[in-house]
Amino acid sequence: MTDTLTAPPEVPEQEPLGSIEEPLWRVRLRLTRRSLVQNWRLFVANRIGVVGLVMIVIFALMAIAHPILMATVWPRHIYHPINGYDAPVSERLVVEEVTDPETEVDLTTARIQYGPFTEVGETVSISQQPAPPSFGGTYPHYLGTDPLGRDVLSQLLYSTRSAFFLGLIAAVVTVLFATVVGSVAAFFGGWVDSVLMRLADLILLVPLLPVLIVVSALFRISLPLLGLLIGILSGFGGTAIILKSQALQVTVKPFLDAARIAGGGNGHLILRHVIPNVLPLSFLYMMFTVTDAIALEATLSFLGLLSIPMSWGIMISIARTQGYLLGSLEYWWLLVPAGLAVSLLAAAFFLVGRAMDEVVNPRLRQR
Amino acid sequence: MATPNGRKLLEVDRLVMHYKTKKGDVSAIEDVSFSLAHGESLGLVGESGCGKTSVAMSLMRLAADNARYLNGEIRLDGENLLALSEEAMRKRRWKSIAMVFQGAMNSWNPVYTVGDQIEEAIDLHIEPRPSEKQIRERMSRLFEMVGLNPAMLDRYPHEFSGGMRQRAVIAMALSCDPRLIIADEPTTALDVIVQDQILKELKKIQEKLGMTLIYISHDIAVIAEVTDTIGVMYAGKLVEYGSTLEVFHRPKHPYSYLLLSSTPSITGPRRKLAPLEGESANLLDPPSGCRFHPRCPFATEICVTDEPPLEDKVPGHKAACWHSDRVPVTIGAAV
Amino acid sequence: MLKYVAKRLIQGLLLLMVFLALLYMLLDAQPGDISLQLSANPRLPPEAQEIVRQRLGLDQPLLSRTVTYVLNFFQGDLGLSFTQYPRTVGSVILEKLPRTILLFLSATILAYYMGFALGKVMAWRRGKTVETGLTLGGVAAYTVFYPWFAILMLWFWGFQFGLFPLGKFIDVEEWTGAPMAANRVFMRMLISLGILGIVLAAVALVANRLPPERGEQVSRWGPPLVLLGFLAFWFFSPLRRYAADIAHHTLLPVLTLASVQFAGVMLLTRASMLETLKEDYILTARAKGLPQRDIRNRHAARNALLPVVTSLVLALSFVIGGGILTEGIFSWPGIGGQLLDATLTEDIPLATGTLGVIGIIALIGHLVSDVLYMYLDPRIRTS
Repeated sequence: MTDTLTAPPEVPEQEPLGSIEEPLWRVRLRLTRRSLVQNWRLFVANRIGVVGLVMIVIFALMAIAHPILMATVWPRHIYHPINGYDAPVSERLVVEEVTDPETEVDLTTARIQYGPFTEVGETVSISQQPAPPSFGGTYPHYLGTDPLGRDVLSQLLYSTRSAFFLGLIAAVVTVLFATVVGSVAAFFGGWVDSVLMRLADLILLVPLLPVLIVVSALFRISLPLLGLLIGILSGFGGTAIILKSQALQVTVKPFLDAARIAGGGNGHLILRHVIPNVLPLSFLYMMFTVTDAIALEATLSFLGLLSIPMSWGIMISIARTQGYLLGSLEYWWLLVPAGLAVSLLAAAFFLVGRAMDEVVNPRLRQR
Repeated sequence: MATPNGRKLLEVDRLVMHYKTKKGDVSAIEDVSFSLAHGESLGLVGESGCGKTSVAMSLMRLAADNARYLNGEIRLDGENLLALSEEAMRKRRWKSIAMVFQGAMNSWNPVYTVGDQIEEAIDLHIEPRPSEKQIRERMSRLFEMVGLNPAMLDRYPHEFSGGMRQRAVIAMALSCDPRLIIADEPTTALDVIVQDQILKELKKIQEKLGMTLIYISHDIAVIAEVTDTIGVMYAGKLVEYGSTLEVFHRPKHPYSYLLLSSTPSITGPRRKLAPLEGESANLLDPPSGCRFHPRCPFATEICVTDEPPLEDKVPGHKAACWHSDRVPVTIGAAV
Repeated sequence: MLKYVAKRLIQGLLLLMVFLALLYMLLDAQPGDISLQLSANPRLPPEAQEIVRQRLGLDQPLLSRTVTYVLNFFQGDLGLSFTQYPRTVGSVILEKLPRTILLFLSATILAYYMGFALGKVMAWRRGKTVETGLTLGGVAAYTVFYPWFAILMLWFWGFQFGLFPLGKFIDVEEWTGAPMAANRVFMRMLISLGILGIVLAAVALVANRLPPERGEQVSRWGPPLVLLGFLAFWFFSPLRRYAADIAHHTLLPVLTLASVQFAGVMLLTRASMLETLKEDYILTARAKGLPQRDIRNRHAARNALLPVVTSLVLALSFVIGGGILTEGIFSWPGIGGQLLDATLTEDIPLATGTLGVIGIIALIGHLVSDVLYMYLDPRIRTS
């Protein structure tokens, strides 16, 4: 018994910090990788998160597929999500006096639609104008065409890209704002904290959608600007408050004092010690921001308030403004694909967020 | 101090309980038997994870959902608790067996007053239901008994200090005159001085009311202060069982000896403390033979292969060890 | 406690002032003002333009204009509407506000009541098929694209089944020869609902004061009886037909708005309950031999309620956004629909005024949830 007591503790093979000669960055890298692997395992254990991730990957593939399809199999003038046009074509006999509108067309219309040199007696192929939403047309439309004769599938894929683009901007801006505001408020405390937190209170109080509605009436809002606005408003609001309380727990830890005694400046301390500790939580809330951003963009487009050429919201908005709303069953492809896409992508980020929540907050884990 | 018909108050008979988990069965209680007469007090001691809390929870039938009773009986006044319906068991909780919990700091619901929470138990278990005034008087008496001001009954738990909360928990445990009280690490979260006060209080009440008590702790010194009998548990098994004085001065199991010598004594002579080496056994796959053999300084061949029976080494002092004669006498522990 | 409420009230008023000031400055940051429109008129000499600018106060510096706007706002003067000239923004909002309040309030109360009730049962039955199904359904309802969902609801219940009217507030044909304007009938309905709420709260309070058995009787039979009395009152009222018409138009938008909110509350209650069930005092309650139902309702749910009440603040933005869309899609003539109309027609004073009032609603919601939390949590109440 006493022998084992005095014996030095055995050094395990995989000593976490490695030998002294190893450069610091490699140690850091290894530690990061290990914690990533660990968290990944926890994340995967939660099936709901994996479902969300798979859904996101599928949407990402859809976004990538669009330019490829446009470059290879889809002729631009038919399938372009904004300018493309395709409609059912019918062969018509050009006559002076139309008796059967199904098979005949009068000379004036034929000259306008087909060519100025059309003569009576010729047979012309005329595409219907405006095109009703349908599956007809010269090319296959797997999800039909919209009330302007544009391919719905192409619109859907094209819009996926802009949804991701918006989500990305909103996510980056949120993380940036929330982390910096939260860390700085917690680190410096005092009046800095007061001012920042009162401002956060104010932003939290302001309902996002009505503000964006009014702002969109005053200014032209493009996709990047919208991403920026959502990012700032959600990053500086509730998320900053939550991150501050997290950062506060870090600032009272002894390692921060140790770093300060070792001569670390404020910038160094915040960057090296406070921020890395609040970052996981920040990424978690980022997921929910992305959910919000996708829904908000779709909503504002749906209301026709954004200057964006095409998005899921605009697809639904077109169906609505063109009066196809109550034909939901008959013209399902106008409402269902876009509506589902918005809902599913938002749900995917939400699910990933929930799963991350269980990784970051161990209290939520099941046993 | 047996009951008129000669039966003990509590008899735990060859109890085996396993937790079903994804990784396999965890043998939490393995063939544990002990009994307790009216007015007696028993201490259960052992490291965390040795099964002592599982025993306590089994007595209340509050073990986790994945607990499976594979064998044995728990008889309270001759009635097998494990055979009762959930509803029948519910009616016996607190009325027959009350409990003072581990981490009692959080055993109060923060949104109700302490008085309301005690009243809740009285309402439920005392028949016929006393009047509002009688309940109030009863609670006031209980509070005075544990050294609290009855005016505190209308306060919320967060207005109590840790020690006060623990006193109130004891008052609540006494509220329905239970036949048996189980105290599971009741003083662990408190500082030493408060811990000592609470222990003295508990001892005083026990003597005054002739209360039957099971006291569970990892701290053998604490147990020695309040109990007549000690049961030492290791890895789900009862390894030693005897009167407190006997076990304390002449332990017959190496584990008890090591436990005693790793505990500092304030009153006894100075001595070197020997820390207990190694980790508690893995209950998913317990060691063969004697479960303590990987950590035992006296282990020999037989300890690895054969399980020692729990048998009388000295009349009334049982131990489960092949080498109990080699266990030294402790040098003046704190009793 | 009163001190705390007063403090929050003052804080809220300050926040509101800052919000209004920022709103005005935002308005000012847009290119051009009303005088530019007038200058497009070639017959207006520059001096006249200057006079117009002076009379409208546009020559003042931004700061003093902002202060004027905020002060006027607090005096109830929100300016004139461009599209509904010469009506004031205040009168337009005042006309529509009660309808919005009804929509928001009834949807929120319904959602919280149902969501909490279902959420706590879900947590209690963790791991069962019902729970998994409800969780998935909850996530789906929570993340669904709301306008799309509202359209589908309208299409499904209103068009496909014809159970509900396709939007709007009243059916005009029903109202020919009505003894009073729809808004007056509506106000009576609101007042009676308010009285109903107060009576129900009183019943709950009485039930709390009585000894357990009697209290349980009261809480079981009281609310249905009160509700029955309420319905009987309207059933025998001469205005029954008109009230029924309004109620018929109200039901679908309220249910649509409530169902999405409900999903969020349910998911949160479930998570909060699961946290609470791990607490030591739940074990104490079980050891005390309390019946399952009492453990769930008295101990677990009562504590799980606290985070749910806090969430009211975060959900507020969600409710307001959803409310605006609901009003837009169901053509419900409230201030949310007004905000959309004003935005699309660029009626800036009306849009900002409406947004300001929405800000006030948000503030009140904030305050209510704060006070409610304090009432529910003795740790805050008594300190």
